[in-house]
Amino acid sequence: MAFEPIWGVIIASYLFLAGLGGGAFAAATYLRLRTPGCAHLIRYGRIIAPVTVIIGLVLLMFDATAGFHNPLRFALLLTNFGSVMTWGVVFLGLFTIISLIVLIMDLTGHGLKIPVWLDVTGAVLGICVCVYTGCLLGVAKTFPLWNNALLPVLFLVSAVSTGMAAILLVGIFRAPSEFHRSGDFKKFHFFLPIFELFLVACLLFITANSAESAGWTSVMNLVSGDCAAAFWVIFILIGLVIPTGLEFKMLFMSTKEVEESKTGHMVSAASDLFVLIGGFALRLLILTAALPITMVQPWI
Amino acid sequence: MMARYGMLIDTTKCIGCFTCRTACQRQNGLLPDEAFIRFEQREVGEYPDVHVENVPLQCMHCEDAPCAQVCPTGAAHMGADGIVEVDEGRCIGCLYCVAACPYQVRVRNSQTGAVDKCRFCTVSAEQTGTKMCTCVEACPTGCRIFGDLDDANSQIVQEIARTKAAPIAGDLTASKVFYVR
Repeated sequence: MAFEPIWGVIIASYLFLAGLGGGAFAAATYLRLRTPGCAHLIRYGRIIAPVTVIIGLVLLMFDATAGFHNPLRFALLLTNFGSVMTWGVVFLGLFTIISLIVLIMDLTGHGLKIPVWLDVTGAVLGICVCVYTGCLLGVAKTFPLWNNALLPVLFLVSAVSTGMAAILLVGIFRAPSEFHRSGDFKKFHFFLPIFELFLVACLLFITANSAESAGWTSVMNLVSGDCAAAFWVIFILIGLVIPTGLEFKMLFMSTKEVEESKTGHMVSAASDLFVLIGGFALRLLILTAALPITMVQPWI
Repeated sequence: MMARYGMLIDTTKCIGCFTCRTACQRQNGLLPDEAFIRFEQREVGEYPDVHVENVPLQCMHCEDAPCAQVCPTGAAHMGADGIVEVDEGRCIGCLYCVAACPYQVRVRNSQTGAVDKCRFCTVSAEQTGTKMCTCVEACPTGCRIFGDLDDANSQIVQEIARTKAAPIAGDLTASKVFYVR
């Protein structure tokens, strides 16, 4: 039997959007504490967070066909606390509630009254959501590409990176003056894809050398097999290397005039868009390339 | 007293006719694209002594069932007599159990979207004596033996000892289906 990936584009989108939302809220909280003057950027983060997470959850429910046909069954999701998915539902549920409360307060002109503890709680839950998307796959013991402690960290870094990219992407067009003032935030964002490159390299090295040959096969799927073109071009090049190059040029090699020019804006926007594309590609590739140890024939 | 049901499958007798799979589909009223038994075939031996080995795979009713551990709704659970069950009315079709099962023997019902798998339906024949056409009875070469693994006098326990039958993938999980290879 040829192994068919269990989850496809819909679940990849869900993992991507849930991470993006959690990351965006954490990023907005960072902005609030660090540069409270960037009220618009903070608001964009607060809008992006619940919207993306809710879209992700709708996709998830749509993919879970039996539940989609019998929606009351979703209430049963809170019955097995030994399951990572149950914990994910708890984190996602609480995160959605808090991020919606924060968003409503912000949009109704009570933005300054939002208590710090509420923002911080939302940010912590957002980070839990990001980590959960990695742990969800990580506990499937028979997939060496998933069943390791690096994956949740990689997903977390990628999620925060995509969340920040989404805020910056909107900010470039809607609040350019705040975008220019958020140098700190942009520098933080610049380093994430570099960190991600190291994490991906570690994940591949460790997985390729796992005790089971499925680890090697999964990695070969990515670097030289069916997924190779998408892996190298869309994820590594477009998703990580090019944004790093563009941001390096904008942050460290350009004058203030270039940075604030229309061209500068377009370069930054392209870089952020590429980060988002890379974030989605990462989830889809990890879902598609993974093989279980019992798939490779010799076991039977 | 609770039983601990298991099955023995003798692949040296299996001719790969798929009768067990068809009997199972009829017994359980499965869809044409829904089969609880999956066949793997491979060539074994060296020329000129080569033959095809047929290995019917199905739910191993693991005592440490990974599907039940990850199922968020409790649909996949350990039932009575060590039988891993799926409560269709609780399944949301998230496929988490499909990812967790090391044997790729859980199937999604293409109409309901719920996940299902071998139910060890032979147990009702064992308990009530009802005659039915299960995989065990349908097999023309008698590959399959079903019984209580805790009963030292049962045919299955004696045959496992005699044939040195073992789980298909060693101690990957605590499987209750044993194979003669």
